[in-house]
Amino acid sequence: MRLYSARADKEVPGVAVGGEDRLRAENERLRAELAEQRSKTGDEERQLERYASDLRDIFKAERARAEELRDSYVATVRALTNAVEARDAYTGKHAERVAAYGLLLTRRIEPALAEDPQTEFGFLLHDVGKVAIPDQVLHKPDDLRSDESEVMRRHVLIGWEIVRRVPFLLRAAQIVRAHHERWDGTGYPDGLAGEEIPLAARIFSVADTLDALTTDRPYRRGVSMPEACEVIARQAGSQFDPAVVEELSATPHVVLENIRDKTR
Amino acid sequence: MPSVLIVDDDPFIRKLVSTTLEDVAGMTIVEAANGKEALEVARSEKPSIVFLDIDMPVLDGTEACRRLRAEPAGAEATIVMLTAATRDEAQRESEAAGADLFLTKPFSPLELLRLVDDLGKTTTPG
Repeated sequence: MRLYSARADKEVPGVAVGGEDRLRAENERLRAELAEQRSKTGDEERQLERYASDLRDIFKAERARAEELRDSYVATVRALTNAVEARDAYTGKHAERVAAYGLLLTRRIEPALAEDPQTEFGFLLHDVGKVAIPDQVLHKPDDLRSDESEVMRRHVLIGWEIVRRVPFLLRAAQIVRAHHERWDGTGYPDGLAGEEIPLAARIFSVADTLDALTTDRPYRRGVSMPEACEVIARQAGSQFDPAVVEELSATPHVVLENIRDKTR
Repeated sequence: MPSVLIVDDDPFIRKLVSTTLEDVAGMTIVEAANGKEALEVARSEKPSIVFLDIDMPVLDGTEACRRLRAEPAGAEATIVMLTAATRDEAQRESEAAGADLFLTKPFSPLELLRLVDDLGKTTTPG
């Protein structure tokens, strides 16, 4: 604004003689003011650049920390999972395979649910409550007596009690609790039916049975993938959510076999 | 939480410092635009840390530092001079006037936060 008026003054015709000195002085004053203004603006700009540069550093550090945190979540869950599987020799990498089958199905059914790391954590930790089941029940080769079955069934609620206390595992805890529920309402511990059962638990239930059927046990060999899928399909609507079974049937067997063969 | 007095004739700098220390570090900030105001505010607020710009109208930072040191309100405070990187002589003068530390403009907000954190640790018992 001032600069403009200074220029306008110059263009005004008939400036009185002797006014020229004043004009020159005014011009210099304005130049000095402008220079100071520019230097101040430059200082402010440099100061803001320092803020921007610190902000960049903070973002970088924050991302690294978030990644570290995610990694330590995963490591914690794996440690817990391994603690369970260490006691249960025959299952081998059961939890890992079930998680892989489960995530595959979840991605096809509800992609957002598969994005939630807690879904995988819940799959991996489903049997964490077995740490509290006595050896003679957990490792009994014969059929369990009814009182022993009762003890065995407790692993669901024990697991839920363990996991629900961890804030980053709250949703995973629901899977742990509901992983033995059945679509027809005859499962445990809550006897939930149909869509009362969390979707991730309904998916888990199919994945769990798929792995149980296709894995060799000391007393029987595992069946082939197509056979297992057929067995599961027959239980659609009773044990399993028909929509989940449908997704399983639509999945190429080779994809499932890849998971089985990679995670032994 | 100790209170901080920021003295600078540039409202932009005062705003940056107070935003950083108030919003991020949760400190109480009081402001002054020149050395004379700084002495008045220091007397009433008794800040534990004073950030003093050097070039200021009415009463410059070096002189304000000297006078603050002579008063009970300023004798115990940590005085941090805000300086341009090239002003060695001004630095020496303010050191003689009783300044404790120097923060070079443009300053890094992280450095500023670290500085008040460190001061908090050394001045606050427990």
